[in-house]
Amino acid sequence: MSGLLDTLRVVDLSSGPLAYCGRMLADLGADVVLVEPPGGDAARRAPPVRELASGEKLSAVFAFTAAGKRSVTLDLARREGLDALARLLDRADAVITTAPPGIPQPPGPQVPGHQELAGRHPRLIIASITPYGLRGPRRGWRGSDLIAWASSGVMPAYGDPDRAPLAPRGGLALAAGALNAVMGIVLALEAREQTGRGQLLDISLQEAVLSVSLELSPVLAADNGVMAKRVGKRRPTPPMGQYRTRDGAVMIVAYTPWQWAALAEWIRAETGIDEATSDRYHGTPADRAPYAAQLDQWVEMLTSRYGKQEFAEEAQRRGVPVCPVNTLADVLHDPHLAATGGWAAVTSPGGSQVRLPAPPLSVDGAPLPAGAIPGIGEHNAEIIAGELGLGADDDAGGTGAGAA
Amino acid sequence: MARDVGLLPLAGIRVVEVGYAMAGPLTARYLAHFGADIVRVESCRKPDSLRVSHASWLSADIGPGVARDTMPLLNLSSAEKRSIVLEIDKPQGYAAFARIVATADVLVTNLSADAIPKLRLRYDDIKAIKPDVIYLATTAFGHDGPYRSFRTWGMNLCAVSGLDAMVGWPDRDPTGMGMSFPDYPTALIAVSAIVAALQRRRSTGAGAHLELPQFNISLNCAGASLVDAALGGTGYAARGHREAGAAPQGVYPARGEERWVAISVADDAMWAALCRVGGLGGLAGDPRFASAAGRAEHHDELDEALSSWTGRRTDWEAASELQEAGVAATPVLDSWDALGDPHLASRDFFQVAASSRFGADLVCRPAAVPSGTAAQVRRASPGMGEHTRQILRDAGLEEPAIEQLISGGVCAEMSEPGRRLRRPYLSWIGRLLRLPWPSP
Repeated sequence: MSGLLDTLRVVDLSSGPLAYCGRMLADLGADVVLVEPPGGDAARRAPPVRELASGEKLSAVFAFTAAGKRSVTLDLARREGLDALARLLDRADAVITTAPPGIPQPPGPQVPGHQELAGRHPRLIIASITPYGLRGPRRGWRGSDLIAWASSGVMPAYGDPDRAPLAPRGGLALAAGALNAVMGIVLALEAREQTGRGQLLDISLQEAVLSVSLELSPVLAADNGVMAKRVGKRRPTPPMGQYRTRDGAVMIVAYTPWQWAALAEWIRAETGIDEATSDRYHGTPADRAPYAAQLDQWVEMLTSRYGKQEFAEEAQRRGVPVCPVNTLADVLHDPHLAATGGWAAVTSPGGSQVRLPAPPLSVDGAPLPAGAIPGIGEHNAEIIAGELGLGADDDAGGTGAGAA
Repeated sequence: MARDVGLLPLAGIRVVEVGYAMAGPLTARYLAHFGADIVRVESCRKPDSLRVSHASWLSADIGPGVARDTMPLLNLSSAEKRSIVLEIDKPQGYAAFARIVATADVLVTNLSADAIPKLRLRYDDIKAIKPDVIYLATTAFGHDGPYRSFRTWGMNLCAVSGLDAMVGWPDRDPTGMGMSFPDYPTALIAVSAIVAALQRRRSTGAGAHLELPQFNISLNCAGASLVDAALGGTGYAARGHREAGAAPQGVYPARGEERWVAISVADDAMWAALCRVGGLGGLAGDPRFASAAGRAEHHDELDEALSSWTGRRTDWEAASELQEAGVAATPVLDSWDALGDPHLASRDFFQVAASSRFGADLVCRPAAVPSGTAAQVRRASPGMGEHTRQILRDAGLEEPAIEQLISGGVCAEMSEPGRRLRRPYLSWIGRLLRLPWPSP
């Protein structure tokens, strides 16, 4: 297939949205084994859970993050389960964990911590993704997607000036953590190739957010001497932001002088406002800042005559960077995605077809395929008996049959 | 500032970057951090948007040739690189470009789908020069389909991908992302694919043709939400901080002006922990809040109770009390808080690196640094054209040919290379950051 990471073996101990890390590695060709407790990964029940036409219940978070992985159930509260995990890790190149540091575990056999893992498996790449990382005074603090944005320093620039700061939604901080871990794992492979030693990768979601919002970085605020402030749906440097249309809004970023000129000419032609093309407004968005209220009003006189998709297509024809402000429902019906293979269909554990955004990468002319969503312990037999060489008596899976 | 920098796993790899703004340059910046030699090909005729603007404090007597080295964002997109000004749309420019590409392992571009064929930067063009090249192009929408020629900035991509419509308050128009988010995950995936392709080349000898449309990357970053929407889920209109499966969740006012506390309660165990915090015990017995569904339904009442509790504390007091009990909470950090954050400082996130224009400059390291590799940023962004002559020499050009390229306007060198500037924040930032800043 793509062959990019075909020889990479990954053990995935993560759960929830951060499991996108292993998913991306699986897209790139790696063998990713999701280790689940005997009753199944909690993410399988993570809200929102939807009922498919077949009656099967499916969590979107699990469906999206588990596609293409193999599943093995191991009872890590029992010695047999931990022994099987150790064998699995002996054969693996990398392990992904999202266990927060310093949180007490119940008595009984302990899932090995990072240092213990490194001691037992000296060539293993250990990728940890936690809210604040494994080092530093706040390493034990709990987190979430929102907490990561709030910790990054960029949030006071988000939202409306008269209300509390907002944050991006849709799990983007967690995606940032997962993708930083993917990059770190591939780089760690390179380091191991040269040194023969395993590597610890300590991803902090606080830093991951800073890595995906560079244009709001505190480094820039330091240089400007002022912090970015909340400005609502448009920047004060027009036209840059959202403008209402008949059925929603469009995002206009007329940044260069010629992009503004094309938009101004369109305003003039359709609304009869000859002044729109005046030299006074020529130049960069910052040059137009003093006239923001007037210009935004003229722009919206134009946009409000159109539907958002229709306006965007006509604006693009005129050379102005405009896109519709789509809801997720709009995205599902987007004509470009329909025409370019933007969606993949994968099989659920119950045999239904589930729609995912197609993997975003093509290699040597072929888009990467997305794999099936595994059932609980679907690969117990081939992994526990076949690859680890453990018999049914070992009962590592805690399923009553070891290799069911 | 000689320090043991640690392993540079990509040392010996040469990358040619023909980039603009962020996604392409940032990809190369990560590769540079880990030791690759980056040749950043820049143009005076169509300059990088970060070379057109300049630092906000710059005085009028500083000409455009120096001003173009002053945007602090350049340090985040282009640290550790070498820069050549080379106009590849001129025949002699492309010829010199081909000489450089012939010595390279990787080519990265994020020019538009229309510009790539015009400038002869398609995979087939580059492969003809360097047969086993690892080629990566990241365009907004790919090379086919109805949007292939759409002009976009990152903010347009956020809108079309559905990311903007989720951010806002339910009683107002959405406010949106307000930044070029897709560029950043694009760079992370691009580096992963390039390094993996280099590993494949080591065993098979084959190059690679990698294409990453940023539209599709945005969708994957919000992938679970889209899967849920495709299954009939509708909870994705802008509604503040409310999220399925987390209640209460929100941003609450703390004591002082523009001080806030973010709180996320993920499950019943965390709710029980919150109810153990002094002053919040009254919530414990309330049957409305006993289940996650009940807490979601009565979220407004919860917000009121939490606001009144946070409002009597500083942001750090409130967050610390909650975290001590096991509840996910944090002060909402602003830029100054982040720069002075002892946690980030203990992890050496913000750093000072050598800079040819500033002597030393403020940078931050990548978020993903394997333990045995370099965590230190060694150099800030190069001046525009700082390495023009050196790069042409490396590619085997003789001095007369180099002179001809420069005098003919095909190449250019850094303006006033001896002219050092000083960022105004130098007087106070060292104290805030506790960073060792070398004396000028």
